Amino acid sequence: MAFDFFQKVSRAPTNPRTRSAARAFDVADLYNGPVETGGAAPAAEQTLDEKLRQAYFWIVNKAIISPHYDIEYNDGPPQTFTVGDSRRVLTLPSGQSYSSYVLLPLLTFATRRKCLFVGGPGRGKTASAILMGVLAGASVKDVRRAMQHGHPQMTIADLLGNPLPSDLVNAQSMDEIRIAWRAWLSMRVKIIDEYNRIPTRTQSALLTVMGDNYAEVLNHVFECPESAWYLTANDDQGGGTYQVIDALRDRIDVVVQALAFNPRFLDELLVRIEEDVRPEEMVPQTLVFSEAEIDAIGRQVRAVAVPDGVRRRVEFFASQFELLEPGGTQFEYMTKDTARLAGADWREIVAADTGRDRMKDLGCQTRNGVSVRNLMTLLLYAKALAWFRGNHEVELEDVRQVLPFVLHDKLHPDLGAPFFAVPENAPFRTDRVSWLRRLFDLANGEFLRLDLERDDPVGVLSAQFAQGLDGVSERETRARLVKIEKLIGAQTKGRKLYGHLYDDLLKLKYLHQRYTNYLAWLRAQT
Amino acid sequence: MMPTVFAEVLAARRADYNGRMHAARQRYPRLAQDVFLGFLHSHVGPLAETVDALAPLRVAGVVDACYDAALELVGRALVGPAAAGSALRDSWRDVMPRFAGLLAGHPAEVVGLLSNAALYLAAIPGTRCGQWNQEMIAASASIGTLAQLRAAGQINAWRAGAAHFRAGALAACTTLPEALALALLHAPPGVPLDEVMRQMAADPWWHGLDVHGCREREIGAFSGFGGQFGAPPEVRAADDGFLVRARDRAFFLVADAYGAVLRPSSIEEFGLAPPNNGDVCVNATTVAVTAPTTHAIRLVAA
Repeated sequence: MAFDFFQKVSRAPTNPRTRSAARAFDVADLYNGPVETGGAAPAAEQTLDEKLRQAYFWIVNKAIISPHYDIEYNDGPPQTFTVGDSRRVLTLPSGQSYSSYVLLPLLTFATRRKCLFVGGPGRGKTASAILMGVLAGASVKDVRRAMQHGHPQMTIADLLGNPLPSDLVNAQSMDEIRIAWRAWLSMRVKIIDEYNRIPTRTQSALLTVMGDNYAEVLNHVFECPESAWYLTANDDQGGGTYQVIDALRDRIDVVVQALAFNPRFLDELLVRIEEDVRPEEMVPQTLVFSEAEIDAIGRQVRAVAVPDGVRRRVEFFASQFELLEPGGTQFEYMTKDTARLAGADWREIVAADTGRDRMKDLGCQTRNGVSVRNLMTLLLYAKALAWFRGNHEVELEDVRQVLPFVLHDKLHPDLGAPFFAVPENAPFRTDRVSWLRRLFDLANGEFLRLDLERDDPVGVLSAQFAQGLDGVSERETRARLVKIEKLIGAQTKGRKLYGHLYDDLLKLKYLHQRYTNYLAWLRAQT
Repeated sequence: MMPTVFAEVLAARRADYNGRMHAARQRYPRLAQDVFLGFLHSHVGPLAETVDALAPLRVAGVVDACYDAALELVGRALVGPAAAGSALRDSWRDVMPRFAGLLAGHPAEVVGLLSNAALYLAAIPGTRCGQWNQEMIAASASIGTLAQLRAAGQINAWRAGAAHFRAGALAACTTLPEALALALLHAPPGVPLDEVMRQMAADPWWHGLDVHGCREREIGAFSGFGGQFGAPPEVRAADDGFLVRARDRAFFLVADAYGAVLRPSSIEEFGLAPPNNGDVCVNATTVAVTAPTTHAIRLVAA
């Protein structure tokens, strides 16, 4: 019998919970037990989220030694311990918690997005990416062959493919030149190892494939299938041989860090040496996902609901960061983006930003705002995490847990901000995941302090507008316009301008304009 | 002394079996070698001898399946000094040899079905594993196929107290020859299967002449004494059973003529059920009685 330690997949539910809806007891359960029945008993239908959880637990228990439960969930009060001179808190979560290093790549696999592994050499970044390729049904050999290794001499032809030499000589037009496309372009899992060692010009070609999902050589186009991407970098700060172009960096959806190996788990490495096995070669067939299954996962993930309350928290958080009062004169242009596009000196412009409590204002902690792409990615991963946990709705905690990995490389801290000068906040200068989570917690605290959960007049007006304008009378429209104007007056009276207020005012201006246009249309009808 | 045929099979595939043992120890670090060898000697050896008498060419396949199953069971400490109860051992010793013919043809399936069933029933408080073994032994002469074995096991599990299997077991009856189904149900003589099924479907407390059935059951005890409830339970009626809450845990209670079983539920589901006034709670077929001074629930046919 083959050494089967790596082939065992837990048959017990990976996320056990009592489901009241399914009251049908299955008599076949009598024969479900530890002993194999040779397929005699009909297997219970396995849902895709259960299958992905099986894959997760197989990876963390058998393949990648990552005993870091940094995505913490609690079903009740957790046990906490204060440790060391710095009085850091060690939490023992009371709910099922996960290792980001395995979970985020798996969610990337399920949603066909792009994940960057960062961390020092020899920490299993490439091995993890290969595992994802094997989960998609490719052999280890094919995955290895298709993996692109970044190096300083890498050309566009190395990356995408070559024109056939004979065609180059004989062709009368570009159309007659056939291209030998690289095999990796058609893979469902694409792996770029050490992407920050790819020269800038080749990075641009890679950007087209990553961003638009096609490759182009000599006017010939290769349409790539929908796929999950895994990139590795030894230095997430864009080091290596070449600076990573911003647009390429922006295409990466999540960044996960390979944490240090815990030598307490050395015995597991010893087993691999003694048995001469590599986990990526032992992936159980039952954990391999077909293309149709991944399509179905995509549909199920998108169907996960984001409750209004959770969406509002995300809105409130995101609205903290873009405002930069000295950045512009017209209301719409008072943003960090305006200042950045103008190439303004950051220190100078920040020094001009006076009047607000820079310690309290969360917007002062960052040098930029959150982009549309970032927000869409955040919502998608929050849905994916909720789905992975077997839920039909996103919880606030799901957003809180994925947010640092989505914004890791996107929301840049202003390390000169007063927040980072406070001694107890000094670790946030290096620990970006914790800083982003803290930022989200602070935003939530502010949301609750302002009582926006119960009293959100802008939300009420937005909801009213969302009902549609059909049948709204001229009188009612005027009343609503007055209401908006009064609300703007009340919101701005004697108050300093913070990010969330700035976005609320812009939203009110938008509503005012829509009602104004509607009013003009109504008048034209009579 | 190890039975000869068994010893021959082990010797012939020594390297392979040693490899399996090695792999199993990686998976189950607590796997006790002496317990495993003892189980092979006391349970697998006699089975090999029994099969040898019927189908000598199938012995190796039976030993193969038994060896793997034994590794799994010993590795999980389901047999040996740490095991709770003797249901599994009894099943291997008393029931499995009665199905030697089926075992020869489908070794992995039969070993798996009988082992898992014994473990499943032993894990449900109040079920009668001994009765299940006896009924399976009694029916063994009439069971000729794997499908019949599976269905008979399910029907007997229900009759041995797994009340939540009621619907599935009744459905299994329809897959069996009528005589076998009537025998398994201990139906009154001369009553056709359709009639028995109709009665059973209409009244969960109907049991004909079956001595294992009765019209009342009791379930529940203080968790400090090994029971299920940490506090006197509160009961609410549901469509096909009762919802029970004791402290921060909730259960779904299913009861019929053959037993009463608690399955996990949620506090939310309990909260959705209409509250009950007093200690007596009634649904369409059953009266449930409890009191603030007891951890038990008495169930009586309505």
